[in-house]
Amino acid sequence: MTEFKAFSKMKELMTNYYIEAKTTKEKPIAWITSGAPVEFLFAMDIIPIYPENYAAMCAANHQSVELMEAAEEAGFSQDICAYARTDFGADLTQGGPAGGLPPPHFLVCSTNICKTVIKWYEVVARKYNVPLFIVDTPFLHEGLNKDLIDYTVRQLKDLENFLSEFMGRPFDRERFYKVLALSQEAAEQWKKMLYLGKTMPSPFNSLDSFIHLGPIVTLRGTKECVDYYKLLYKEVAERAEKKIGSIPEEKYRVLWDNLPVWFKMRRLERFFEEKKCTLVVTTYANSWGGLGNHQTEAENDPYELLAASYLNVYINWGFEERIKYLAQLIEEFSLTGFIMHSNRSCKPYSVGMYRLQEELSRLTGRPGVVIEADQNDPRVYSDAQVETRLEAFIESMGSN
Amino acid sequence: MFEPFYEVINNVSKTVLKYEKEQGRPVVGVMPAYFPMELIDAAGGYAVQLWGNNLPLGKVDGYLQTYCCSVARSVLELELVGGAEMVKAYAFTSLCDTLINLREVYKRLFPKPTLEISIPMTQTRAARRSYLKSVIQSVVEGLEKVTRQKIRGDALAEAARIRGRSRELQRGLYKMRRQRPGLIKNKDFYAAIKTGFFLPPIVYNEMLETLHLGLDGLEDRGSKGPKLVISGLVFDPMEIYGILDELGVAVVDDDFANGWRTVSKDELRVGDLVEGVTEFIFNPAPCCCIYNPDNDRHPYLVDKVKDAGADGVLFWYIKFCEPDAFDRPQLMERLREESIPSVTIDVELSMTSFDAIKTRVNAFCEILEG
Ligand code: SF4
Ligand code: SF4
Repeated sequence: MTEFKAFSKMKELMTNYYIEAKTTKEKPIAWITSGAPVEFLFAMDIIPIYPENYAAMCAANHQSVELMEAAEEAGFSQDICAYARTDFGADLTQGGPAGGLPPPHFLVCSTNICKTVIKWYEVVARKYNVPLFIVDTPFLHEGLNKDLIDYTVRQLKDLENFLSEFMGRPFDRERFYKVLALSQEAAEQWKKMLYLGKTMPSPFNSLDSFIHLGPIVTLRGTKECVDYYKLLYKEVAERAEKKIGSIPEEKYRVLWDNLPVWFKMRRLERFFEEKKCTLVVTTYANSWGGLGNHQTEAENDPYELLAASYLNVYINWGFEERIKYLAQLIEEFSLTGFIMHSNRSCKPYSVGMYRLQEELSRLTGRPGVVIEADQNDPRVYSDAQVETRLEAFIESMGSN
Repeated sequence: MFEPFYEVINNVSKTVLKYEKEQGRPVVGVMPAYFPMELIDAAGGYAVQLWGNNLPLGKVDGYLQTYCCSVARSVLELELVGGAEMVKAYAFTSLCDTLINLREVYKRLFPKPTLEISIPMTQTRAARRSYLKSVIQSVVEGLEKVTRQKIRGDALAEAARIRGRSRELQRGLYKMRRQRPGLIKNKDFYAAIKTGFFLPPIVYNEMLETLHLGLDGLEDRGSKGPKLVISGLVFDPMEIYGILDELGVAVVDDDFANGWRTVSKDELRVGDLVEGVTEFIFNPAPCCCIYNPDNDRHPYLVDKVKDAGADGVLFWYIKFCEPDAFDRPQLMERLREESIPSVTIDVELSMTSFDAIKTRVNAFCEILEG
């Protein structure tokens, strides 16, 4: 990992967040998916908890296997998303960092990342006997249109009613607008930082951005989150200015598609450094920059803006859009190739990926590789297999 | 009595080609599940359901990873090996992440149009209605383009009546099976249901009417083994029914997406098509793929087992099907609380060895028989 001074600040932020969530007596807890409109919760003083983020932490701490085994023991198939399995295990055993998550008072789930989360949250809703609110954001096979935005806006308004009923007081619009502005600002800062990757050599690598995702996922909508990314941006910008790269020598610059392999971060980092290859940009980390895109349209109806942003995320796009976007990133970031993680856990991100790889290579003339792995389950990961494929890929960039 | 049904399911391509020629209607390939085929009929198309084949998988490996379910993999294999040349367009529903991406794969690989009923998974009723309205409109337009024929109100009503009749006749078989377990062999039963996937509904209805006549007068032979309810997505591969028949198991009811969950649907109400389709998708049987807290699978399955007088539940798990896999542990727990034994078998449509399944089902039967 690139050494950033901001890192300790992030640790502090995240620790405080979890401590508050675990100890609060006054504030309700809502479990929420990573791509759901959290702004509504902050506006009502509800603490959002992100089971996906927690599962990732478990894997990064090398605790996911024992937790998944507990879930599998309880009957959950190895075929289901490893994030869900990890969290089910943590819930069953109260294991994992900080001894599991605080129990939810209700759940909010958005389908923009996958339909799997509905199933996951149904299990949780049944176990804790709590309400589940779904913001359904259909897959954009043919791009965004007015019907989709209307559909989502209506649900967002319904979410307000739900929250107001739950809290027994009117929805706080004024606060909501403030939160939304903070959320947008954080997204803007995050994106600005990620786009510093265009500098050669890149001042950070994608493994860094995976680590620094914590606040934008869990705290967007708060002032702390904005401050944090300002701090990080400043530091990264300085490095960019001085042309300090994230690795000593950068020969290759590549894109990473899909989630990280959380339990192999260190090893992969060493591997790539040795090969003089920087992971410059990822579709995954970029996903939280979306809200920032709409800054200039601030005069628009904020509900429409939110609906459009939450519908319009990479993993919710059809392949045509995905290919266009990937090609654009390859161009803008001056990349020499791209890596696609065919993630056994994450079907929406992965199913059909071989086709994307083929088309993207053809379109851009850059080599690409698909590696078979999983974001959270080391038992289906083989160092030898992955690294052999990556080596061949890196060689192919050399001969280009 | 069942030969004509086997004749169809053992010769699917031949059958489809024959009726395509006879009717002069373009074939629309239907993906799992709950696509209201009445719309296809009314547009002048020939709806053929494509899932459930058990081709050996080969070409598909280059396009769909091995961690995708065999339903998706086998259906794409069929297209890749040229087995679906007669299909002019594809009708999808947004049932799961795999199918959603599969549609994208089809769009990249084949020049044929794809349509989709995107199912709104929300509890915000008004939003659901207006969204579904726009979805139906685009599906209708898409179909009309494929068949070059407008969907007229009378044609739709007629299609609804005919398809409604198919399901009514199928429900008759389900009822008979519950009342007289052992009357129909398991394999024959599903052969009769499956036949409907491939035939024009009028032709199929005639076959079912004849079957009803034949079965009505027959004595129940009784079943010697346990009575089971089966739950799963897709009722293939058919070989497993051979095993169940051999073991003397009487399947008395099922909870398959392409079985009872579809068969139970009433005639599509076409007066208010949006309401009709909503009703069609969300009711009456709950499904793991359709979020609907008003129609809970737990009491539903318990009641089903009790009503059918079953001794236990067999979960027929198509490998890698997440919607099914998420629900199962809690569902089994609920059954345990009701003292209803259950067991799971792992199934792939392309499987060729059934020994492990046989051993497992046999052991379960022994437990049930005490
Ligand atoms: S990893 Fe993929 S399948 Fe799992 S919760 Fe995230 S988006 Fe959904
Ligand atoms: S079997 Fe399951 S995963 Fe496969 S297509 Fe059907 S619902 Fe989707």
